[in-house]
Amino acid sequence: MMQAYLENKNEGRNIGMLVTLLMFGFTVIGALVALMVLLWWMPLGDYENILLDDFNTYEYIVIVASVIYALCCARTTYGLLRREASSLRWSQWMFFITIMIGGAILLSVIIPVGLKFSLLLGQNIDLRAQINNEIGGIVPTVLSIGEGLISVSLLVLVLLALLALFVFLIPPLESLRQMDGVRLIVAPPRRLIQAILIVFALGIVCVLIAGLTAVPLHPGVTKIRDVEDHRLLAGLLFFLPALFGYLQVRQMREESDELRRAVALTPGKFIRSELAKSPSAGAIIGFVAIFLTFTMATDLFLEPSSIASYLSNVATKGVIAIGVTYLMISGEFDLSVGSVLGVAALSFMLFMTEGAPVLGVLEPIPAALLAIFVAMILGAVNGVLLITTRIPSFIVTLGTLLAYRAITLVAIAGGRILRYRDFHDEFPVFAISNIVFVALAVIGLALMAFTAYRVLPVLLRGASQAWSIRANNGDFGTSGAIIRFVAFVIVTLVFLAIIVWLIAVFGYHIGAGGGQLVEVGYFDLFNGRVSSIGSEGDFFHLQIPRDANVRLAILWWFIFVVIFHIILTSTSFGNSIFAAGGNEGAARAQGVNVDRVKVQNFVIVAGLTGIAAIYETARNPGVDPLKGQGWELEVIAMTVIGGALLTGGYGSVVGSLLGALIFGMLQTGLVLVGIESRLFSGTVGVIIIAAVVLNTFVRGAQRN
Amino acid sequence: MEYKQKNADALVDMIDIHKYFGSVQVLRGIDFHVDRQEIVGLLGDNGAGKSTLIKVLTGFHTLTRGQIFFDGDAVRIDSPHDARELGIETVHQDLALVPLMSIARNFWLGQEPTYQVGPFSFLDKKLMASESIHALADVGIHIRDPEETVGTMSGGERQSIAIGRAVYFGKKLLILDEPTSALSVGETQKVLDYTIAAKEQGMSVIFITHNIRHVYEVADRFTIIERGHKLGDFYKRDVTENEVANMIVDGQIPERLRLYEEDAVGD
Repeated sequence: MMQAYLENKNEGRNIGMLVTLLMFGFTVIGALVALMVLLWWMPLGDYENILLDDFNTYEYIVIVASVIYALCCARTTYGLLRREASSLRWSQWMFFITIMIGGAILLSVIIPVGLKFSLLLGQNIDLRAQINNEIGGIVPTVLSIGEGLISVSLLVLVLLALLALFVFLIPPLESLRQMDGVRLIVAPPRRLIQAILIVFALGIVCVLIAGLTAVPLHPGVTKIRDVEDHRLLAGLLFFLPALFGYLQVRQMREESDELRRAVALTPGKFIRSELAKSPSAGAIIGFVAIFLTFTMATDLFLEPSSIASYLSNVATKGVIAIGVTYLMISGEFDLSVGSVLGVAALSFMLFMTEGAPVLGVLEPIPAALLAIFVAMILGAVNGVLLITTRIPSFIVTLGTLLAYRAITLVAIAGGRILRYRDFHDEFPVFAISNIVFVALAVIGLALMAFTAYRVLPVLLRGASQAWSIRANNGDFGTSGAIIRFVAFVIVTLVFLAIIVWLIAVFGYHIGAGGGQLVEVGYFDLFNGRVSSIGSEGDFFHLQIPRDANVRLAILWWFIFVVIFHIILTSTSFGNSIFAAGGNEGAARAQGVNVDRVKVQNFVIVAGLTGIAAIYETARNPGVDPLKGQGWELEVIAMTVIGGALLTGGYGSVVGSLLGALIFGMLQTGLVLVGIESRLFSGTVGVIIIAAVVLNTFVRGAQRN
Repeated sequence: MEYKQKNADALVDMIDIHKYFGSVQVLRGIDFHVDRQEIVGLLGDNGAGKSTLIKVLTGFHTLTRGQIFFDGDAVRIDSPHDARELGIETVHQDLALVPLMSIARNFWLGQEPTYQVGPFSFLDKKLMASESIHALADVGIHIRDPEETVGTMSGGERQSIAIGRAVYFGKKLLILDEPTSALSVGETQKVLDYTIAAKEQGMSVIFITHNIRHVYEVADRFTIIERGHKLGDFYKRDVTENEVANMIVDGQIPERLRLYEEDAVGD
């Protein structure tokens, strides 16, 4: 039908006009949202203690996003009116995005309801009443009249909207008569049944929501976002028309080349094929889903302190997961990381307190290096054992898991905990001249300038190329070129901002004069709270709330992820890791020294574990003999969620990052929404299996 | 014990090759040679020792006794790496490519082109992609996308890519180990075409199979192995396809060829 519309035939006129009208409606809605936020009619986000005419970050994001959205919708409407073929593709995308927005709004209503419902089910009603009585609360058990009215009117509205929608979808009676002249009264169309069922389900949801908003949970346990049922209507307003529009513009028999090009890659297909290219598709989907779920379930999830908490909790394990990913891609497996971590932490602490053999008591940095070296030796032992005995790595590292644990158990006798403070009065600090900061700023400036020099001309050239061939790219070539130019400007501004900041740092420390000393704690440098670094007013003092547990290890972790990602994907060594795990024989036949690659990987895992041990010890300067016990399986779980194949040859470092983040989000998020933390390992178990099934599914899709 | 090269001009000359696995004698004094730009069909029933012979040549097994001459020099081949250094490329039935890696990465595996940034060297991915397309096109293999993973391709396409890779890297000797046993008729024909293309580019080819039909068309000479011994060398002009097939099964040289065989050995 849309095709007929675009070819200016009479039959497609109604549908075409309807789609155009819908698109225009979305334009208006987008513009209205921007306007309302801008004029303070629609405050968003956390508004406590903030004046009405203040804008917070959420609002800035929403204003910019809805303006862009409205502009795109307007362009699409214009294209549809002019009957341009490529407007089909735009409307597909705009409808798709609108479905997503509507779905998100709907979910933000439904998820809290589901959570509240499950929590209510899990509660002892008497206990709830008791607690409420203690704090003087009342437990309403019946709906008030007002709430009842709300739910009924919601139901009616939903019903009307659906009826209006399905009038368009049900084929006209004439076509039925033509199909079968004898049986004029046919069975009710399937769509009608579906429509009735959907209305029914939505009605039940409405009633549930209305009911649950009236029933408060007992305080103190949960801080679930209040169910705001007015959002249901807004969500439906986006969701259903957009779904209808999407279905109209998605399916068609392509007759002209132009049309075929326009609809060759629907948004759904595009996302599927893009995901299929990535080894960590399951992890990406899982990450987005879990992040959105928790964001919608509770307001606390996006608080800086929650984000900091889950990042800090997994940063150390995430560092190990990078190494385990390497090892798993090369087809091996390390169960001994937990014990290696214990030994490395123990040696680090011993070297600083009781002293290393021969060398005596060491300063923190030599001690850390030596401890990492010790860990690497243990890793090398794993690797050499593996390639000399040819025993499966599962068995080898199961053995060393137990054997290495004996080292800490013997060294720290009798369940003692080795504490730094038992030997030294103060945590170690060192003073650095602010010349160091100046040097760091200069290095940073050079790096940024170089990157900008490499990146910006490419972007600009791409944009101007798109501009010069805009006529060939159909009617939307101009818009595409403009978008590229805008992207170029944004990237340039980001570079400029960073450079200006670095220059300010440079100027600040130059202005302060040379030779001024800044005291930095060693442990803070390894894994301190970020807010503890630098002094107030210093440019290195970031504006992070003091209660937010942002640890420096997060930064180190991200740096390691970038470095190891580049090594894995862009060096010969990375290539041989993939080959060693993917087909050992082929790798050998091509001259790859598989044994050496495997030993190197064991050493890398152990080295990263040693680094993680330093972080852990710096965070809590005491080592007990069971440090790191049970970490190995958690780390393997992160890696597997991240898309690495246990059989080798497939995986990515970014996947391990996402796997670790999923782990951390679950750990923190489950507590925040008030689900018992005892369910954590059960949830992780389900997530692992779901992620691996997703990964397999997406890989299968790639093959077809 | 001193060995002398028997065939002065041969690319490969393996003399008096013995290989024992413990007390099991798999190869019992085999002489085998490959001339330059020659396709040799190495034939024999299952368990005759043809794979062992090739694994000795490619460094997977070290020989118990005997001597290998390559390009006129006495060589020791102790590892696949040594064989590769000499210019021997083996295309195994299942060991040729890594299924989960892309065509370009497989093509360059073990000798990736890199560029330097300071002390670090990074893969030159653009060159890897473009060169692998061109190189494969030179042998007549047209691929759609160098980033496609090998696992999604058919068996014939995989063999072709492995052969194209060997030709591109200017190897002197290409060993095809049962390359066609899992392929359809059409794919087999393609592999045979690439084999001839490799020969035209100046390589010698050893084509191992137990099915004469796959190799009779392209081979210049057949070497038949039978329980650790060499039954004989036969040029294609001297034997029919059926005679070769019978020899593989019976392990007997037909009366007509006995004289020729003694001549060949007597040289």
